[in-house]
Amino acid sequence: MRRKLYLFLGLLVLASLVLVGCQSTSSEATSAPSSGGNEAEVTQAPAEATQAPAEASEAPEAKEVTVTIGFTQSQTGKYNEESSSQTQGLELWVKQVNDQGGIKLSDGTVVKFKTVYYDDESTGDKVQQLYTRLITEDNADFLISPYSSGLTSMAAVVSEQYGKIMLATGAASDSIYTKGYERVYQIYTPASRYLTGAVDLLKSLDPNLKKVAFVYENSKFSQAVVGAAKDYAEQQGYEVVLFEGYDPGTTDFGAFINKIADSGAEAVMGGGHFQDGSTFARQLYEKQLDIKYLALLVAPADNGFSELGDAAKNVVGPSQWEPSANYSPESAKAAGLAWFGPTSAEFAKAYEDAYGETPSYHAAGGYAAGLVLQKAIMDADSVDPDKVKAALDNMDLLIFFGHIKFDTSEDAHGLQIGHEMVYVQWQDKDGKLVKEVVWPKEGATAAPVYPLR
Amino acid sequence: MSKRIQQHASLWLSLGAVLLIGIWPMLTGNALDRETAFTVLRAVALASSLNILLGYTGYVSFGHVVFYGLGGYVGFYLISERGWSLWLAILAGGLAAGLLAYLLGLAILRLRGAYFALATIGVNEAVRAFINNFEPFGGPTGMTLNFKIYKLYGGPANALQLSFYIILGLTLLVILVSYWVRTSKFGLGLLAIREDEDAAEVMGVVAPNAKTWAYVLSAVIPGMVGALVFFKNGTIEPGLAFPLNTSIVMIVMIMLGGQGTVLGPILGAAGYETMRDFLLVSPLFKNLQLAISGVLLLIIVLFIPRGLVGWLRQRYPKVRRLLI
Repeated sequence: MRRKLYLFLGLLVLASLVLVGCQSTSSEATSAPSSGGNEAEVTQAPAEATQAPAEASEAPEAKEVTVTIGFTQSQTGKYNEESSSQTQGLELWVKQVNDQGGIKLSDGTVVKFKTVYYDDESTGDKVQQLYTRLITEDNADFLISPYSSGLTSMAAVVSEQYGKIMLATGAASDSIYTKGYERVYQIYTPASRYLTGAVDLLKSLDPNLKKVAFVYENSKFSQAVVGAAKDYAEQQGYEVVLFEGYDPGTTDFGAFINKIADSGAEAVMGGGHFQDGSTFARQLYEKQLDIKYLALLVAPADNGFSELGDAAKNVVGPSQWEPSANYSPESAKAAGLAWFGPTSAEFAKAYEDAYGETPSYHAAGGYAAGLVLQKAIMDADSVDPDKVKAALDNMDLLIFFGHIKFDTSEDAHGLQIGHEMVYVQWQDKDGKLVKEVVWPKEGATAAPVYPLR
Repeated sequence: MSKRIQQHASLWLSLGAVLLIGIWPMLTGNALDRETAFTVLRAVALASSLNILLGYTGYVSFGHVVFYGLGGYVGFYLISERGWSLWLAILAGGLAAGLLAYLLGLAILRLRGAYFALATIGVNEAVRAFINNFEPFGGPTGMTLNFKIYKLYGGPANALQLSFYIILGLTLLVILVSYWVRTSKFGLGLLAIREDEDAAEVMGVVAPNAKTWAYVLSAVIPGMVGALVFFKNGTIEPGLAFPLNTSIVMIVMIMLGGQGTVLGPILGAAGYETMRDFLLVSPLFKNLQLAISGVLLLIIVLFIPRGLVGWLRQRYPKVRRLLI
């Protein structure tokens, strides 16, 4: 009996070792090689990757330095999916830059990149330990944040004390950046501006409309978003005639719809997550409420929203990025901004070629973080952290992900103030619902349809 | 004098083991070693605290992390929103956890076996849901510490160093408490409850009282550790403060080292954390670290069910006096 047990356990250990072997080869196959991947096929590269500053050609000696980018990824646990996409995006950027021969500085130095990362298990237990390891053992020169605001703030305590620059992608909370950190830079639009663009869009569509209702899910995220949007709407001269929260999991919005009707609101904003947002949109349609504009959080950005059919038509919703967002060198020129890197379509194609799937906005965020770092190093003409910090502080440009500009005030240093959410609208194209980007204008793929019905 | 040292040999052994973990990063002066030792000491403190309830009294608490989270929340709130010093906040975190344990103990320690274990899971989820809706504690998004607060403690680097000394102190304290419980009359009552609660009552142990105090003792230090850890982390939110997973890991550590012994949880926690660290960063295993640690645990539980210390006691009767 005992012998059988030993045999069984022996086999178990053997099987797990074989699995380990398979896992490490498969991970190499799916994720782009982190450095020196010259043997792989050259994919679409950032436009200026190889473009040296003017003085570069005069420098005789070519010294190569490899910059280490450290981060933790949630390889296990609840953030696994988002975090993995983020890493894939970043790895794609690393591969493209290295394949293009790295960044050439004016003194002839060629900067190449490699990544080092560990699993944070989606919990905070090990984040500080692993970031200390990245900084002190792996000598990471620059850091990327973990996924989620909570883990990012933990990592920031460590990165700040070592004076390391951390690009935070996947961390939308405003609070991290108002806590006195000096070297944490946010790529995403903060939660407080998730819906403000929807107010701007409404204003551009109908300057005469004045009465707005906010109906939102009673969760902290939605409250933070809607609270900021309400303040903004009032500043813009709107009259907020209804401001009402519903419990998570609400399935009958009858009472709220009656209240909206009573309030005389012409535009409705709010929502929360996918389930309640879609139910709300459907019931608004069924009751044939006479409103001109409907903007909801989260749900419209999801492709499943189109299953609502006519109820989804012309509903507006925010998203950090969409593959169809039409940011291009031309739109940069129109907005008076510098352009850098690939267009959205080029990024999306390169990503699909590398991983066989359409990039989500998490993947785009990872790639964008790399691109921002690349531009900062090129602007600084150095990998010195202080010079790169100065370059980041001065950054004001348009990339495929959108406008990138950081707050440099003492109160909210590093907060993203340039990037706008893109706003999608489900439009009827020959009887078929198509998700179009309608705002901001520089990224729009179609003109917004107004009014709602 | 030497007799006294001999009498408490097992205490010296346990304290020595913890001190060894604590002194190692001081000798190397390496920040990473310090961070690693911090997570190990945190695990030792949590596991040794739970051992008072699980090992000595025989009550399995699956929701013990609730005290860690609550202490963390109370301490964090006092530091961040009320401007209290770290020291007072740590005490307050411990007190809050102790108070919750006392009130809960009166109610749920009447349950036995699986019913008690289930109730503790319920308590953890209930407290998490409460915090999720409690605005002063920031609701679902939690709270973030202003970076400037670390300047009061000599900058973030010094604050992390200070946190390390405090966790070392707390861990030594929990070992002293654990040893005292194990060797006192009170502890004898707990062991009697573990073997047969009804028989213990017949013999004069006031089981409800003894159990409640064991519960309180096992909750206070996790509360203090929580306040310290979240100060060091700089942020707190419900998902990070009440992970059910950590409760289970605590139980695993105790089982590994040997439940009902002072030294067991120290060895179990240190061993488990070291293994996890190794698997997490080793290039070969990092993608499968959870599977590997699962297999290792299976092997250990199958072959040495009494844990390391239990196995040593059985194998080498001469060292029994040393290993309690």
